[in-house]
Amino acid sequence: MWGGVRGGGGLAVRLLGARSKQEFFSTSSVLSKDKEKSAASKESSPEGAAKKQEDGAGTPKQQLLDIIGDMKVEVSYRKKLQQLKTSENKKQAMNQLEGLDSEGSVPQGITEDTQRGKPLSPELVKAASAVASSLPRNKKKTESELLAQLRRHEETTDKQKKGGIINIRNVISEMTIKRQSPAQRGARMSGRISLQLDEDGQRLRREGSSALSVDSRRSLKVGKRLNIFTKASTEPEHALKTVSSPTIWDLEFAKEVAAVTAQPPRNGFEEMIQWTKEGILWEFPIDNEVGMEDDAEFHEHIFLEKHLEGFPKEGPVRHFMELVICGLSKNPYLSVKQKVEHIEWFQKYFEEKKELLQEI
Amino acid sequence: MAARRAGAGCWQRALWLGRCRLPGGWESCRSSLSSTALGKTVDNSQVTQEEIVLPRRKTWDKLAVLQTLASTVNRDPTAAHYMFQDDPFLMPRNAVNCRLYSLSKESGRNAAKYIIKNFPQYFDKTFAEPNIPCLMPETLTPQTEGVSEEALRERIHLRMVKESVDMFDQLLQAGTPVSLETTNSLLDLLCFYGGGEPSPEKEQEEKEGLEEPEVNASEQKAPKRQFQRGSQSSGPRWRENNHAERIFKIMPERNAHSYCAMIRGMVKHGAYSKAYDMYIDLLNERHKADVHTFNALIRAVPYLKERFAERWELAKDFLTHMAQQKVQPTLLTFNSVLKSLRRCGGVGRTMSLLVLKEMEALNIEPSLASYDHLLSVYYKGVDGQSSDIISEVLNEVEKRSFTAQDPDDASFFTTAMQVCCDLKDINLAYQVNKVLEKGDNWKFLDVDRLNNYWSKFFSLLCMMEQIEVVLKWYKEMSSSLFYPTPKNILDLLQALDAANQLEVIPSVWEDVKQMGFSRRQDLLEEFLSLMSRDQHPSEIQLAFAKCAEEIKAVHEPAGQGQVPLEWTGSALGHVVVLFSRAGRTQDAWKMMEFFQKINRIPTDKVMDEFLNCAKQTNYPDEAIKMVKLAASLGLSSQRLKNRMEEEFELSETQKKALESIKCDGDSSDSDSSDSDRE
Repeated sequence: MWGGVRGGGGLAVRLLGARSKQEFFSTSSVLSKDKEKSAASKESSPEGAAKKQEDGAGTPKQQLLDIIGDMKVEVSYRKKLQQLKTSENKKQAMNQLEGLDSEGSVPQGITEDTQRGKPLSPELVKAASAVASSLPRNKKKTESELLAQLRRHEETTDKQKKGGIINIRNVISEMTIKRQSPAQRGARMSGRISLQLDEDGQRLRREGSSALSVDSRRSLKVGKRLNIFTKASTEPEHALKTVSSPTIWDLEFAKEVAAVTAQPPRNGFEEMIQWTKEGILWEFPIDNEVGMEDDAEFHEHIFLEKHLEGFPKEGPVRHFMELVICGLSKNPYLSVKQKVEHIEWFQKYFEEKKELLQEI
Repeated sequence: MAARRAGAGCWQRALWLGRCRLPGGWESCRSSLSSTALGKTVDNSQVTQEEIVLPRRKTWDKLAVLQTLASTVNRDPTAAHYMFQDDPFLMPRNAVNCRLYSLSKESGRNAAKYIIKNFPQYFDKTFAEPNIPCLMPETLTPQTEGVSEEALRERIHLRMVKESVDMFDQLLQAGTPVSLETTNSLLDLLCFYGGGEPSPEKEQEEKEGLEEPEVNASEQKAPKRQFQRGSQSSGPRWRENNHAERIFKIMPERNAHSYCAMIRGMVKHGAYSKAYDMYIDLLNERHKADVHTFNALIRAVPYLKERFAERWELAKDFLTHMAQQKVQPTLLTFNSVLKSLRRCGGVGRTMSLLVLKEMEALNIEPSLASYDHLLSVYYKGVDGQSSDIISEVLNEVEKRSFTAQDPDDASFFTTAMQVCCDLKDINLAYQVNKVLEKGDNWKFLDVDRLNNYWSKFFSLLCMMEQIEVVLKWYKEMSSSLFYPTPKNILDLLQALDAANQLEVIPSVWEDVKQMGFSRRQDLLEEFLSLMSRDQHPSEIQLAFAKCAEEIKAVHEPAGQGQVPLEWTGSALGHVVVLFSRAGRTQDAWKMMEFFQKINRIPTDKVMDEFLNCAKQTNYPDEAIKMVKLAASLGLSSQRLKNRMEEEFELSETQKKALESIKCDGDSSDSDSSDSDRE
């Protein structure tokens, strides 16, 4: 149960899906290594290099070893932790870089692209340059603008990916079972049953009076009551209950009562139920909805064609956008809203360049 | 673990799902990108052209699947309980083992928890992803430093009794006033633990105490035992001037909560009259007690007054006070009343029904504990009660499903079965069992209570049922559901005897060996006497002789420091008879020799059987030796001698040897020793 690595292959599906095929089937850890490498390659500025040496994980040999180590089925945790830590460091470094970059919001051109170009797939670059080449002027600028947007997008993905891990952790840690207090439960139970019993009680009383004529005193249903208490409305009691926090007495009593029916599991499934309640086991049924935001459903994440209506029906732009949504559909780290915004950005972009496009 | 791994793939699967349903035109351009992912599904896409209704998101109960699966699994009558299946070597064979192993397993868990709790510094890595909180150590060291009310509150929350008291004293010395609320929660803590530290060992003991089986508890003993459980096992007894009392005294102002905490603590730790005095103080201060305090006081009633009527009057007083103070009673209030009525003799019998009626009038459903108390009020220690009450109770219980609401709920089924046993009413017992099997009711029986319950039920079955039915139950229950006690085996033997089915005995003996009862003298005696009592067909006799041989082995030194059982005269005689009937003269003679060794005297029946055997198998020498032996033990050997002369074909030397045995039954000791020498 310690070995439950969540994420696994599911996370392998990355932005814009244009990564090569073998990566589809590789494990996430390898991929994240990959990303680390790319992050490292980004840091060719002196600042980044210094950082890299500090990290000590940057030597190629080390990286190779790490990758090989992670390719085993069982991911060792120490390594995983280390990796997480280093990647977090890297992220910080990257953010610093980003901070430097952010002044010039206009991308600086293809030179930078080769520096940082690794995360974008050649195919995408090709598609982007195709779009750019269809424009008469400023081809290079257009291409780099497109690519920069894609890259920015990927950075968000990375950030949210890390955020996602933390989020999931939070979700699981909050998974502790909320127990209904026995008193509440009892109150509810009695409320539910009382009506039904009244009828039965009457029936029994008739039976009792006929059968037990000799010792009618000794029957559950016949006889007087104590007449000490009067039935009160339960509202004031409820008000009191909600105000005071549980004392040690309440807690211990609840434990004692829970212990009454807490029997050892009778079969493997019951044991799994127990583990699920304790939060040790992954929840059944295993579906594709774990960790998803509440508002979106999975088809909204995946079927993004409907957002392409504003684009031309054919041509290089269309081809480019199809690639974009294909990648987006495989990206589990962006929210639906972000995906739509991403598409809208392109729409606006191409809208602005419409005249240029039509000049051809 | 597998579950987790599978969970990882969820997104990919979602994609796959999506891809299969895409309109065909799309595939061509996508497949160029990720043809591997698409694989064979490309062809299908042509077929599914129609409108696809995408499912709305569905929230699943995380346990539903497992619960459904679990409900498909039945008990395996040939296997031990699931908790013992990790290690076949540790399959329990009897109730003692079962208890020992289950406690060991639990204590192993506790030991692990203890280590994690006490050495959290070694468990600071979050290995699991996502984290599993229940496997990680809790923070038990206070985070707040210094002396302040905040720090005091934290220590109270962490249940550090001694630190809290010290902190409180320091605060007082420093002249910092502690708020009433904090002081009250400190009082709660002190009263709950009765002045001692909460320690894992004590909790362990407590648990063990709770699980202690009531196997031999007679009716009179049972309530007393329960009282001990309630008061003593849960911690130290209330001491004069302990911290709680001291702090209570120096409190500048006290509210109802302070008084209530004190009263509850005093009742919990056995200071009943003090609790009552405290209650009087509370009344004098014009405070109102809460319902829990009244419950505690009502439970204390039997220890406050001696006479039954006085006890009931006091309990009634408390109830009236509750009504006056407008405190609404709960189920636990009435359960406390009923529990106290258990110790009110005949008064209890009249009043308990009134109490139940009162509950009904207030719309409070009785829990199993209420019925448990009612049953023991009516049936404990009283003979010849009618079965009206219990059958009414059972009818009520049958109609409802129960959740645990009172710690005493657990003992209902055992009590009910005990009553059925006392009434010797098998139909009621079946009804109890039916109720037990309904829904989740089985959960009310822990391992020990389960054993207790079934062993009672089984004894009753042996007593009242047809032997076929008994054997069916026996086969189904024994060692998968419960472990028969030696008493159950005796009952079974008697049932077999009554039904004239003694040929089953060898298989029962096998079970007895399995259960590790083969060294119980009373059981062995019963086995031997039943087997040797009548003559059976030769096949059965052979099987019996085999059993006898095994029983004999138990009495012989087996090595490894195991002390062999002492032979008794009757056991020895039975074994001789069994061997003789099976025609094993040599074995029988060896057993005869034991009589002399242990200075026991064989009965006439034994000697006759031996002679018969010697005659049938033609061992006149052994017969003569036997006569000699009888003579040497000072028995009247004349009759045997006559028999020998009549029935055996003896050679001359044998005749001579026979003649030389002093035949006189009343010959003196010296004579018989003479004959020994010959």
